[in-house]
Amino acid sequence: MFPFRRFRVQDESMRPTLEPGDYVLVNRWAYRFQSPKPGDLVVVRDPETLDRFLVKRVSDAAGPSQVHLAGDNQPLSRDSRAFGPVSIDRIVGKVWIRLKR
Amino acid sequence: MSLLYSLARLLDRISPARIAYAHCDIPCGIYDPHHAQLAAHTVVRMVDLINQLEKPGPNATAEQRQEYTNKLARYIATKEQHSEIAKSELRILWADYFKPDHLKTFPELHDTMWKALKTASKARQEINLQAAEDLLKATNDIASMFWKTKGLETITTKAPYPTERQTVYPKFK
Repeated sequence: MFPFRRFRVQDESMRPTLEPGDYVLVNRWAYRFQSPKPGDLVVVRDPETLDRFLVKRVSDAAGPSQVHLAGDNQPLSRDSRAFGPVSIDRIVGKVWIRLKR
Repeated sequence: MSLLYSLARLLDRISPARIAYAHCDIPCGIYDPHHAQLAAHTVVRMVDLINQLEKPGPNATAEQRQEYTNKLARYIATKEQHSEIAKSELRILWADYFKPDHLKTFPELHDTMWKALKTASKARQEINLQAAEDLLKATNDIASMFWKTKGLETITTKAPYPTERQTVYPKFK
């Protein structure tokens, strides 16, 4: 499995950290030996929509294998406040590099 | 734009990156084609005003030339601005409001939108009444599609503005 995967950001819930059109390189091996920490930027499989990815920030651990996710643009973001905690195995990886437009 | 970003763009052409949504609860769902129609009326009006403006003759005084230039500049500036507003409003309807489902009812939607945007650019670049009229017609066509998707009939009637051109309005029950 190739450790890096590219994603292009769409929508505005991670502003100002990520703007629509930015690229992120995601490290898929980041959580092999450690768990996601609060503050990590992660790409996850959308718990609400099949076959779609979300980019969000880990706000806190919700249990041994679950995390809460939040958007940096709080008033707009749809995140764990709406869909609850997210299982760690839905995390694709940790954002390693951000390429701003 | 950074070099790495350009590289990512290039890579995107070869093999597109997946989309990671920074998902929002807003789309607000508030759309109305009236802004685009209004902007198109303004463009028509500006072309009318420019055409009615008396050009200074060879014996015009400096003051008359200055007054002419001032008026012309203001009409052109407004025409520039409002053709851009029309484009922006049309893009919002196109990209955010209309959904693939609507294409089944209006297969001409993409073509109409695309041509409307091109026409708006032409109306912006030139002092061209035909282009301005075409833009207004395009915004009317789009307005009638829009209101049909809302289940509303439309009426076409003379606008209550100095342009007095035909305009599409929704018929609220």
